[in-house]
Amino acid sequence: MAKPPPSIVKRSIYSWIMGPNTKLQLVVLVLIAVTVFARVLPLEMQKRIVNEAIRLRQVDLLIRYCTIYLVSVLVASGLKYLITILQVMISQRTLTRMRKDLFAHIISLPLGFFRNTQPGLVVSSLVSELTLPSNFVGMAVAVPVINLLTLVAFAGYLFYLNAWLAALSLSIYPAVVFLVPLLQRRANQANKERVDVTRDLSDRVQETISGIHEVHGNAAYAIENAKIGRIADQLYRIRLRWDFFRASIKVSNNFFISLGPFLIFILGGYLTIQGRLELGALVAFLSAQEKLYDPWKELIEFFQAYQDGSVTYEKTMRYFDSEPEFALAPSDRAPYQLEGNVDVKNLSFITGDGIRLLDRISFDLKAGQHVALVGFSGSGKSTLALCVGQLYDYTDGQVLLGNAEVRELTKKDMAWNMGFVSQTPFIFDGTIQENLLYSCRAADDNTPAAAEQFRPSLEDMIEVLHQTGIFVDTLRFGLNAMLDADRDSTLVEQLVKVRRNFRRQFGETLSGFVEFFDEDRYLYHSSVAANLLFGTSKRRDFKTAKLAENPYFIAFLEKADLKRPLMELGADLARQTVDILGNLPPDKVFYEQSPIAPEELDDFKLLAQQTRRRKLHQLTSDERHKLLGLALRFIPGRHKMVSFPDLLERLILEGRFLFKNQIIEDYPGAFAFYDEGEYIFSQTIQNNIFFGKPKTTSAKAQDHIVQNIIQLLIEEDLLETIVGIGMQFQVGSKGDKLSGGQRQKLAIARVFLKSPRLLIMDEATSALDNNSQARIQNFLDRRLKGKTTVIAVVHRLDIIKDYDKVAVMKAGKLIEMGTYEELMDRKGALHGLIHGKK
Amino acid sequence: MDSSTEKNSAGGTCEFQQNLEILRQTQFFAGLPMETLKVFAYLCTRESFAAQDCLYDKDDDDGQAFYILSGQLVLVHDTDGGEAVIRDFGPGDFIGGLALLAPMRRLFALKAGQATDCLVLSREKFAKAIGQFPELIPRVFKSMADSIRDWDQQRLFEATEKGLSLKDMVGISAI
Repeated sequence: MAKPPPSIVKRSIYSWIMGPNTKLQLVVLVLIAVTVFARVLPLEMQKRIVNEAIRLRQVDLLIRYCTIYLVSVLVASGLKYLITILQVMISQRTLTRMRKDLFAHIISLPLGFFRNTQPGLVVSSLVSELTLPSNFVGMAVAVPVINLLTLVAFAGYLFYLNAWLAALSLSIYPAVVFLVPLLQRRANQANKERVDVTRDLSDRVQETISGIHEVHGNAAYAIENAKIGRIADQLYRIRLRWDFFRASIKVSNNFFISLGPFLIFILGGYLTIQGRLELGALVAFLSAQEKLYDPWKELIEFFQAYQDGSVTYEKTMRYFDSEPEFALAPSDRAPYQLEGNVDVKNLSFITGDGIRLLDRISFDLKAGQHVALVGFSGSGKSTLALCVGQLYDYTDGQVLLGNAEVRELTKKDMAWNMGFVSQTPFIFDGTIQENLLYSCRAADDNTPAAAEQFRPSLEDMIEVLHQTGIFVDTLRFGLNAMLDADRDSTLVEQLVKVRRNFRRQFGETLSGFVEFFDEDRYLYHSSVAANLLFGTSKRRDFKTAKLAENPYFIAFLEKADLKRPLMELGADLARQTVDILGNLPPDKVFYEQSPIAPEELDDFKLLAQQTRRRKLHQLTSDERHKLLGLALRFIPGRHKMVSFPDLLERLILEGRFLFKNQIIEDYPGAFAFYDEGEYIFSQTIQNNIFFGKPKTTSAKAQDHIVQNIIQLLIEEDLLETIVGIGMQFQVGSKGDKLSGGQRQKLAIARVFLKSPRLLIMDEATSALDNNSQARIQNFLDRRLKGKTTVIAVVHRLDIIKDYDKVAVMKAGKLIEMGTYEELMDRKGALHGLIHGKK
Repeated sequence: MDSSTEKNSAGGTCEFQQNLEILRQTQFFAGLPMETLKVFAYLCTRESFAAQDCLYDKDDDDGQAFYILSGQLVLVHDTDGGEAVIRDFGPGDFIGGLALLAPMRRLFALKAGQATDCLVLSREKFAKAIGQFPELIPRVFKSMADSIRDWDQQRLFEATEKGLSLKDMVGISAI
């Protein structure tokens, strides 16, 4: 068997230089050799142009040498470009590889590692820190070789022309490249002090201003002035020092660069006058002298990159230099399919600090038995569950799952046989369906055995949605989705039918919850724009977002006496919303009831200011359009920060009829007005069924509505279709568009879908309401008993009666185990727990 | 639902202003600066309940606080003999402040005794908003501690007045 490659954290930074980059680096070397030659050649040409072509007045020679010069310069530049590209390629390839390898390594590390590691640190390590080492790897061959070779070649050539002058030319730059960084370091030091003292100054000023009452009360002006004065003086001195070093750097750079030609002229000129140096050679020296600067500079920069890169690399790799506790997957066999019996023998778990979280615990479960672990917080019940589930590595004793030692199993073996639901389950960005399939996809390794077990059908998925009680939630997501006019034509017809039945059966009872679309009434739960248009248009310029810029529409508003009052409303909305939300972060909670989106807030802040200072007609037309646009979004039932004048309401209602008449005349067919017989594609499925909009966002009311709709959907055989659409709902980053209960149900559902032989639930139903909890408990009792072994950490003691066994833990020890009745009869620890005695 | 408030204004004052006025006079929020109160007033929603509607059930962790605008809410305890009303609340009462501070399963159920309009604030909104003003958290705790103490004091006063035994009946503020 081939030796596995060393873990990334054990690799040295140098191992990245060649390795997979060897071929590219060799190409770089070849290119460098040619480049260096192409760099020296122009010097020789310069010499010959002066000495031969100009002196002998030979135009053909001039042309020939100039051509060679030009070609050399072109070749050198072209190759330098290629080398840079290759360098970037090597560096980026290395970065990508380092990132992937390090990420794969990090996520395989034991859970304990992450207790002391902030996610931010992992992020910065992967995102920013690795760029320095990879930059170095990109440079590692190209930069030193090309610059050293250039220096050597130039030096060789110059020494060949004149040794004295060569030595002098070469001696200037080391002075620059060493002196300047020295000054730079001092400047950086001064800058750091400047930043510290500036911060100190601002803290002090802030303190004085915050305590201004006290200053006035005590007339302590002199004391405060002295405090600030001292720091200001200190800042002055540091600032001077900083500027001094900065200026020194600039001046010495310029000085040395100008000094070079001077030295060449004085010594070279003298030698030329003496006839010991040709004029052409002097020109070559002048030109070479200038070109020596870059290689020196690049070498110094390379050294810096090496230092930064290797230090960062070392630090990063050392930080993550831990080993995974378990192998990730078996290399020479298929994952085991284990029986569900669990044997725990003398199990102990001692933390790194020597705290004994589990103390010699022994018990056994037959396949399909259910045990509830109970006890106070900190009694070790979660730790026990995590050890059995291989999430922690126990320090002593044995855990056998289907007679196999859990510690010896790979993570894949566990994924095939165990399902784990944690107390605070994590839901990832993506759709409900993607999250539902998360556990199955993770276990699926594309073998026939896996395909059979871990590729559930749509029916399977819908079934677990039912079992875990998230079916109605998913249905609701589906009902809140919009349909596509091109794709869903048959569905649309059925939905219009559902609408009719809905109106007939529930129109009366649900009128308190739903605002039906009614041509003669103002819709308080729709926007001003929707109230005016009362329909949808396929024309782009009549889309709501564009309305405020549509000249036709604005002219209509003017005619309907609506433009000015709407701008007033917009201004009022902007001022109030900005006043409330001004300093709040762009969180969904804060913006749910706002007509302004988070990204627009800054714009509207300025605009709100303008409306305070100037009259509406003094605003620019762009500003007025923005206010108008804001007013058109106003939904009185949702945006409660301004009042909605009765007069405006009546004007809008009249405007609705005016607009309809006008548009039918001017653009016949451009609008589809709300019609009970037609599907409205700009509205959600639910609003279509209602032919209206819900008046409330309260969960209880929505449940009530959905319960009524379900029956109608079943009649039309649409239930699964809508749930299918709901499963495509995007749950948001970390599932933040779901409630805590929904996240927990989804987490349980994804594990149920895998049908594991061992199910570990760590207070998995703690965020659920009574009904949901009872539903899941019922499913465990009725459907899983005898099939799936369940270890449930339970906080609420009212659900443990039907477990086969109850295990009571205290201070890391298992103090009682038996059936609920046995333990209650014994009047021991469980009895105490249930009756609230400690 | 929402029938009285969906238009969002009454007598020219918008709902937000009305909410602000209410919160200013509620002990739980009193003492918070105007800037913060505005955020809470903005985040509150209004809900209407029909008689016998259940606002939350025993063992729910609904995490809501209610201010009664009109109507009546009753706190109900299930006993073997049926439901026993423990307490009732009327217009101007604010209930559920404790549920805003931390997850808590309800010991009793809350029902509408008659058609009732409420101002509702959820724990999620409260937590997000107070998180923006962390320096105010101690004030919220203080106001909660104050109401527990006031309540205990009231019980003590009543029990002493009526000459009842104090044993195990008062002292909750000593927890």
